[in-house]
Amino acid sequence: MAYVSMGEAHRRITEYLNRFCDAVSYQDSSMLCRLLSFSSNSPSLLSLADALNVFQDASSLIRQSDKFSEYGEILAHLFRSLQSYRVGNLVEAYLAFEKFANAFVQEFRNWESAWALEALYVVCYEIRILAEKADKELTSNGKSPEKLKAAGSLLMKVFGVLAGKGPKRVGALYVTCQLFKTYFKLGTVNLCRSVIRSIETARIFDFEEFPRRDKVTYMYYTGRLEVFNENFPAADTKLSYALQHCNPKRERNIRMILKYLIPVKLSLGIIPKDELLQKYNLHEYMNVVQALRKGDLRLLRHALQEHEDRFLRSGVYLVLEKLELQVYQRLMKKIYIIQKLSDPARAHQLKLEVIAKALRWLEIDMDLDEVECIMTILIYKNLVKGYLAHKSKVVVLSKQDPFPKLNGKPVGS
Amino acid sequence: MNRRSRGSSSSSGSVGGASDSYRRRSDVPRNRSNDNNKGGDSADVSFIVGTCSSMCPERERVTRERLRDLSVFERLHGNPTESSSDLAVKKFCRTLSAADVQASDVRPLPVLEETLRYLLSLMDSREHPFEVVHDFIFDRTRSIRQDLSIQNLANERVIHLYEEIVKFHVISRQRLQSCSGASISSMHHLNMEQLAKTLTTLYNIYDVNRKPDYIYENEAEFRSLYVLLHLNTSSGVMGEPLSLWFRKLTSNLIKSKEMCFVRKLLRSYRNGNYRSFLRTTASEATYLQYCISEPHIREMRSFAVECINNVCYKLQPYPLLRLSQNLMMKEMDVESLCHECGLEIRTDSDGSIVLPTKQTNFCSPKEGFKNYDLIGIEVERLLCEDT
Repeated sequence: MAYVSMGEAHRRITEYLNRFCDAVSYQDSSMLCRLLSFSSNSPSLLSLADALNVFQDASSLIRQSDKFSEYGEILAHLFRSLQSYRVGNLVEAYLAFEKFANAFVQEFRNWESAWALEALYVVCYEIRILAEKADKELTSNGKSPEKLKAAGSLLMKVFGVLAGKGPKRVGALYVTCQLFKTYFKLGTVNLCRSVIRSIETARIFDFEEFPRRDKVTYMYYTGRLEVFNENFPAADTKLSYALQHCNPKRERNIRMILKYLIPVKLSLGIIPKDELLQKYNLHEYMNVVQALRKGDLRLLRHALQEHEDRFLRSGVYLVLEKLELQVYQRLMKKIYIIQKLSDPARAHQLKLEVIAKALRWLEIDMDLDEVECIMTILIYKNLVKGYLAHKSKVVVLSKQDPFPKLNGKPVGS
Repeated sequence: MNRRSRGSSSSSGSVGGASDSYRRRSDVPRNRSNDNNKGGDSADVSFIVGTCSSMCPERERVTRERLRDLSVFERLHGNPTESSSDLAVKKFCRTLSAADVQASDVRPLPVLEETLRYLLSLMDSREHPFEVVHDFIFDRTRSIRQDLSIQNLANERVIHLYEEIVKFHVISRQRLQSCSGASISSMHHLNMEQLAKTLTTLYNIYDVNRKPDYIYENEAEFRSLYVLLHLNTSSGVMGEPLSLWFRKLTSNLIKSKEMCFVRKLLRSYRNGNYRSFLRTTASEATYLQYCISEPHIREMRSFAVECINNVCYKLQPYPLLRLSQNLMMKEMDVESLCHECGLEIRTDSDGSIVLPTKQTNFCSPKEGFKNYDLIGIEVERLLCEDT
């Protein structure tokens, strides 16, 4: 921390106070944003924090002037938070910021127009980030982390403030997205339900009115929820929307969307091009895609094992596991094609023995009972058209379209 | 990174022994008498420390004797108005608030351990039908959990208690199947409900005091039960989708033998691979895992029958013997299953019993409790584990 003289400290604090009050008076939202954005670690905020820690009694400065004391409560908490933040006392910083946020939201309610919406966004963002840092501090001290949960409650309150008829309502989606990020981090994903319901069914909201950026984020998170619940058609719709409307320059965001969209598409029988995987550095899916293309069950299992941790953490592992049936289908098709080349008249008969042999080449040891079981399922789920003559130990394929494509529908639907 | 399951209804702060480091929620009052924390936190109201030295608080016993509210197990010489401190066990009742509870009504950990031991010894009682036994133990273990929760106890001994109670619910689940009566269905439902609650609390306690990379002795098996309760994505016994649940498990847990087993089952189940499902269950399931898997075994078997009926060549009816081998069932059980599915069987010209395929009457068997033995499951292995 740099050395600051009392005089200099006094000057910096007064300057900030003036800027803050002017911003409010002149409804200068972008100025206000800069003044509240702790996590930006801007030099001016940091130098203000140093000044506060030297001066120690900023409240007296606030009280002295009518101009400042109008926002006394807000500023007092804000300053306390900044001071704690500067010295790395993150739990204290959070607690004070929470008080600041509450007071700020109260003021915000009184402002008729939506001029301060961007500033409110900053407050929402900062409180979530601070809460995460505070929880880290708590955990490292052996205590129970609960600040992020508290931040979630505050965000819900903000949501309530915005859920009205006036122009402020377009901010509701941003707050919703902050809530999603909070709940996803906490793992309390079921809490998303109530906000989703509000956004999607309340009459005051018109989804198209919301800013594009928020719509993309919203669809990304709700799409992910559909992935968790394995509603693939719905997941496809939402994640595809996010992809289409995402700013093409935001490559990191596109990658995040694709991370979930690809397994969904694969489940619907749609395979991405390798160039896409390469462009967005999604190499973990390369072998999965290859396995699907070649009917290589061994490769699929290997790919799942290799990236097990990653797939489990992102929650797509179970989705990818289910691709096995499609891989089997592809394998059967290959056998059929090879047979057609050597003996077209009998190509439509797949002997279980032959299938077992093909699997053995892939180092998969399966007895005929299990091969029969797999073929039974493939036929039942319409991945293979034909019937099983179990006595003759052969699958007789339909002459027409024996390996129907999924056509955008999940297996077995 | 700290991963923890949240949202459980019962609290789970911690009271560690001298050798445990422990965490506590900073806004939740702590137990003063086991205070090892070196931090200078403000002394809040402590959790109750129970002082009741018998299985049932004296005043409750006296009241219930007077009101003739004694279970058959609590009656001295069958007398509905007399009990004893050896027989009476504290009943579950919804307390209005912690403030209404007195320390003398709450049993400390050693007494709770003794109480549970006594209750579980009744499981094999032949005097009464199992529904009656279950009902009593069900209620009284719920009261044990309540006492644990009120005192905010959470250490290895407590873990053991919860694990035993989970076992009780799982074994009950299985045994209730052979019971009949109008109330069995609701008993089963309530049993599953409490199983879910007990598991949730157990998982929270596993998480609370966790040293990094450490898993408790039985944790993997008890975690695996969650997966088995959620094989079907649409049946949310405990609410959270599996994909989300897996995210929170530590690496150790995921790689454990028990979790690998249930993940294998999960894969087979979701891909419809009945052969692999049944075989894997038979060769690797522990007793508890087997009990919980039973409805899915049944489900996989009906599914298999459905598929076979649907895809097999009409001119080659499927021999029941073969079907019984595939489904790991006795032949007569397969017959019974086919009938439950609305399918007819017939005897072939050479005397073997077969299932004609492409029948149109297939229907999923109703939600009954008829479970058929899993042939090939190593009974000795299961019995050895059933301690």
